[in-house]
Amino acid sequence: MNVLLALPALLLIALVFGWPMARYTWLSFHADSVLTGLVPIPNGGANWVRLLSDARFWQDSLQTARFAVMSVSLELLLALAIALLLDQRWRGRGAVRALTLLPWALPTTMMALGWRWIFNTPYGPLEQLAAALGLPSLNLLADPNFAWMATVAADVWKTTPFITLILLAGLQTIPADLYEAFRLEGGKPWQSLRSITLPLLTPYILLSLLFRLAQAFGVFDLIQILTGGGPASSTESLALYAYLNAMRFLDFGYSATVMLGGFLMLTVIIVLAAIALRSIGVLRPVK
Amino acid sequence: MTIGRRLLIMVLTVLMVLGFGVGWSRGQAVEDVRILMPAPFVDATASLVERFNVDHQDRIHLSITRGPLETESISDLAISSLLLGDPPFDSLLMDVTWLPKYAEAGWLEPLDRWFDSGDEDALIKGARLGNSYKDHLYRWPLVADVGMLYWRTDLMEEPPTTPDQLIEISERLQADGSAKYGFVWQGRQYEGLSCDFLEIISGYGGHWLNSVTGQPELDSAAANQAAQWMESLLAKGISPRAVTNFAESETLQAFKSGDAALMRNWPYAFAELQKDDSSVRGKVGITTMVAEPGQQPRATLGSWGLSLLKGSPHQDATVEAIRFLTSESAQRERFMERGYTPTQQSLFTDPALTTRSPVLPDIGKALDVAIERPPTPLYAQLSDVLQRRLSAVLTGEQPVQPAMDEAQASSEVILKSAGGSG
Repeated sequence: MNVLLALPALLLIALVFGWPMARYTWLSFHADSVLTGLVPIPNGGANWVRLLSDARFWQDSLQTARFAVMSVSLELLLALAIALLLDQRWRGRGAVRALTLLPWALPTTMMALGWRWIFNTPYGPLEQLAAALGLPSLNLLADPNFAWMATVAADVWKTTPFITLILLAGLQTIPADLYEAFRLEGGKPWQSLRSITLPLLTPYILLSLLFRLAQAFGVFDLIQILTGGGPASSTESLALYAYLNAMRFLDFGYSATVMLGGFLMLTVIIVLAAIALRSIGVLRPVK
Repeated sequence: MTIGRRLLIMVLTVLMVLGFGVGWSRGQAVEDVRILMPAPFVDATASLVERFNVDHQDRIHLSITRGPLETESISDLAISSLLLGDPPFDSLLMDVTWLPKYAEAGWLEPLDRWFDSGDEDALIKGARLGNSYKDHLYRWPLVADVGMLYWRTDLMEEPPTTPDQLIEISERLQADGSAKYGFVWQGRQYEGLSCDFLEIISGYGGHWLNSVTGQPELDSAAANQAAQWMESLLAKGISPRAVTNFAESETLQAFKSGDAALMRNWPYAFAELQKDDSSVRGKVGITTMVAEPGQQPRATLGSWGLSLLKGSPHQDATVEAIRFLTSESAQRERFMERGYTPTQQSLFTDPALTTRSPVLPDIGKALDVAIERPPTPLYAQLSDVLQRRLSAVLTGEQPVQPAMDEAQASSEVILKSAGGSG
């Protein structure tokens, strides 16, 4: 009976997730490109062999991971601070709450275009500010050592509100009497953060981490617009590489392999992270 | 009561079916032709389409679908609809670099039946390039486009013709404070970088892909010199470091504001530079890119043209529309109203047109020395490899020679895999 009730949901998952994944897997064992006239021809594991020795795939993996880890950690720290602030009672809080959400509501492509002009050398406001302060030209987007930081900055600006929202919802589930009791026992406010807020907020933090890491690992639109993967491919993400293979090179077999390779890696990372969190007791095993 | 209602419903249903039938049979008589174009071209052809539809009222109805502005975005849209099969278009306005890929994928119908050598001879030399693949014509040019060197007529007597002269003039103008930058161009890691490089490697007498052997020659002395020269522009401060993130719009901005003495860009920039907000209005000349003494200067071919999609049920009607939109009078109108470069040889010396834009003959000269990017279905891969390595050189990630050796090796691998499975 229970299985029967779950059936519609399972069918939906099979349709929107299972089938595409099966199709990707199938494609990754075929040569399907402009050279085969877009007809899939089985090629054994040739795509996977190519993937393993493809330096660009590994470079992009590292760059994607660097982007995801850096932006999500910064977002989490900022969002925690903002959520704590927004959870307090103060005049004008409603308006500020609405304002903080604004970046999240903006389409990524539009905000990426905006950031491209903000970072523009020599006409962007950032560069003008540096010039006014007598600093040398920043050249953020033109320098392989810094361009990825610009992508992180734009992403942090855009998606911090998302985590803020989840954490704020979490904060509001914490009963006020807990703080009251803690205060009566002689606890300091900053101690209550460690002893009450953070432990009770952990599920929400983990939830937002999971959402954001998966999302950041698949980053595409922001980078496509802001840097196009350059300079010197220093900001290229896995999704951008898969897109190039499919839409520019018309090599669908290899594009599917890149996508799947990235997906497998992300899965492994998340499983390892779950095991680690469980071993230090942050995550409780499901009964 | 109920019977009356039923009868009414039945009568209405019959009427509706009849109505659809009539509408449908009338729709059959007038052929619907649809063309996908990037947005600016849609605006530039709107009045022509209107006229075409009045002239062909009972036979053909032409409608243009407004696609995205950027070349890559419209290519994504076109490819997605072609992949799904049965695209809702009969014709596509195509960039020159897509043709071999689309033809090889079997998406295009050859146009040889409708156009002959007489049609082709009427085109300016540069417009004859990039329309055929494996001896079949697949595209008919709508506008011509080539890379040009823009120079400030108020800052120099004559534009530089060699790489050394360009550096010399730039250094002089930067030293006396009349220009902040010497030369601005497209150094971002994208297609524009490949276009700029092709002009410079040709200026040093080299080839990106040797058209006789079909092999890349990116590790040649000329290729190394070209990359070295581009890198030296940044090292000497002739081009700002920011050039490594410049596409056309950033380049234009720098030149338009009067900050640069020289610029590499496409013909569209000239009209932009004559607008009211331009600081260099009336002070701009255009010529071809610099080349070593004794070498032929070259201009990378851009250009857009109309193709016929395979499986279109309206082939003759579509070609009629293509002929109309690319006719001499259509080109004249597009040039006079929008400044789009024509493709017919005769228009480049037409007094009405040259009065409208004094630089048209210069564009014609550049079209005479136009050079195609490697015409292979694997072009996107080859260009991607080259862009990555050049970007690494320009941003100081990699010295010139190892970068060009790597570009050569990667290009060979790409072409070899093509030979193996072709």
